[in-house]
Amino acid sequence: MRARDVLSYSFSAIKLRKLRAGLTTLGVVIGIAAIVALLSISQGLQSTITAQLERGFATDTLIVTAGGGGGFGMGGGLGGGGDSGFQLLVSDTQTINGLPNVDSSVAIIQRVVNNVSVGGTNKTGTVTGVDFAGYLDIYGDTFKASNGTIPIPPANDSIVVGKRVVDPRLNGTTIAGVNDPIGLTWINARANATITLSGHITAVLNEIGSFGVGGPSDSGVYIPIAQAQILFETNECDMIIVKLKSSDQVVIDNASSAIKNAFYGEVSVISATAVLGIISSIFSVIELFLGGIAAISLVVAGIGIMNIMIVSLMERTREIGILKALGTKSRTVLLIFLSEAVIIGVIGGAIGIGLGWVLANVVAIVFRGGGAFMGNQAAVNGGMTITPILTPTVFLGAMAFGIGVSVIFALYPAWRASKLKPVDALRYE
Amino acid sequence: METIVEAIELKKTYLLGKVPVNALNGVNLKVDRGDFLAILGPSGSGKSTLLNLIGALDKPTRGRLMIEGIDISTLNDNQLTDLRRRVGFVFQFFNLIPRFTARQNVELSMSIADVGKSERIKRADTLLETVGLKDRMSHKPAELSGGEQQRVAIARALANDPKFLLMDEPTGNIDSKTAMEIMGLIKGLNEGNGVTVIMVTHDQRLASQSKKTVMMLDGSIVQETVN
Repeated sequence: MRARDVLSYSFSAIKLRKLRAGLTTLGVVIGIAAIVALLSISQGLQSTITAQLERGFATDTLIVTAGGGGGFGMGGGLGGGGDSGFQLLVSDTQTINGLPNVDSSVAIIQRVVNNVSVGGTNKTGTVTGVDFAGYLDIYGDTFKASNGTIPIPPANDSIVVGKRVVDPRLNGTTIAGVNDPIGLTWINARANATITLSGHITAVLNEIGSFGVGGPSDSGVYIPIAQAQILFETNECDMIIVKLKSSDQVVIDNASSAIKNAFYGEVSVISATAVLGIISSIFSVIELFLGGIAAISLVVAGIGIMNIMIVSLMERTREIGILKALGTKSRTVLLIFLSEAVIIGVIGGAIGIGLGWVLANVVAIVFRGGGAFMGNQAAVNGGMTITPILTPTVFLGAMAFGIGVSVIFALYPAWRASKLKPVDALRYE
Repeated sequence: METIVEAIELKKTYLLGKVPVNALNGVNLKVDRGDFLAILGPSGSGKSTLLNLIGALDKPTRGRLMIEGIDISTLNDNQLTDLRRRVGFVFQFFNLIPRFTARQNVELSMSIADVGKSERIKRADTLLETVGLKDRMSHKPAELSGGEQQRVAIARALANDPKFLLMDEPTGNIDSKTAMEIMGLIKGLNEGNGVTVIMVTHDQRLASQSKKTVMMLDGSIVQETVN
């Protein structure tokens, strides 16, 4: 039998049992749709997070935090406060600046303060003490004023704020502007003292829309490092951000180990590439997990196919007998049954991919809408939007998997059909 | 006359559960090209078994069965399959594919033999015309009478230009008037077109229409008559 004739024969058999074939196909559709939806959402999420990180965390920068003893993980690195009690000082930037491959570095003191008073509202907020010139040098793209100017050198009462501080909903309704007063209140629990800093907004940053480790954010409040040292009564800093002379992996590796050595292994050094690497590996585990769950549903669909095929085999025993009596080769009978499975797999796969894609987009829209309803909460998310991504790998993989499962589960019934003896099959009632 | 089928001491044993049943007990038979042989006998006499062996649907247990001089027990499965394509089988219960039209049913046996689509349609139409179904080509078996269905089956059996037609009670499921018409068609094919026919029946009247009749009983040929 020619390939085309085999296919059209199989197709005619499927068409005869529309409801049954439809339900079988539905199993494949659901499995494939689940795989495609889950994977395209998680890949979209990964690419959103990666893109935002890349914006907020340049690849030619390193983040140095105290503790960790060469710890690589994000948690260990950002946790700070090492076991040995070692702390990074603001003045440690001088040590780092003296190392090869280092272009510049900037120390950051970061505290969650009890009250940020601006435009008649009071909120808690994160205050970052930083050398404006050095910060600008590293985060020139995001530490950029939309109103006012970032003062260099800054006056003692100069305060730079992120967009959301004066425009909480990012909808143009501002509660304060440049030159308006802003007050910070911090309760020093250790000294049991309340310290306040009054200043003026000298600049409002452009909307950044992303988050990053150490980089500027839309809800951040930035004060000169010297003021932070006075306000928070400390010479210790939370992290030092280092700008390298290039984003070469070799430069990153060499500078990282040079910095670690300079502090006798008492610091953790994180690079953007390392963070991206961690995120990407986390996401591959998540994807594997989600894909695995979806794959289970496809295996269930496969068992459905097998069940239907065996029933169909019994119903069509006589037909197989006729085919064999007319001189159909066993291999052709096998092919007829397998191609029925392939047809179901292809149709189920195609519909499933389409449905999964629609589903992923619906989820993305719901997520975006939810962000708006949550109002301020969206600020925490950084107004993050997920755009589902359907990569060719997922597309082809889902298709191949759908067809593969269909064929694998059809193998046994098809093999049984091909092994039927013509006399027995013809006698079957 | 050229011998086309020759059975020599042909034996076939089945296992019915665990009990061996000797369906054929050493059959000797010769069929020449152009013959019209009727195999007559009560049910259980082994006539259908003999027909299945000649049609390469089954393998003999012992003895030799020569088709055009080739012992079929020496053939492998693929060769047997090829042989089946050149044998025209007509069954008592028609055995048409219900979802196919008359034309598609005739086409099917050619499609199995790798004949191209346009040639298939042309030949199917000619054959259906020959068996008198010119106006019923697009009907499905359920829309055809028993006699018409058997005509489709005969057209299908003729499609690949077979060495011979094997008919297993071809009129067993048809009323007697239509049965005589079908017999007329078969006789016409044999006499007019030179098609070799081997027919199994238990109906003495039908057997008398053939050129030669063999009588079977308990797996052996007990009588041979030339009509």
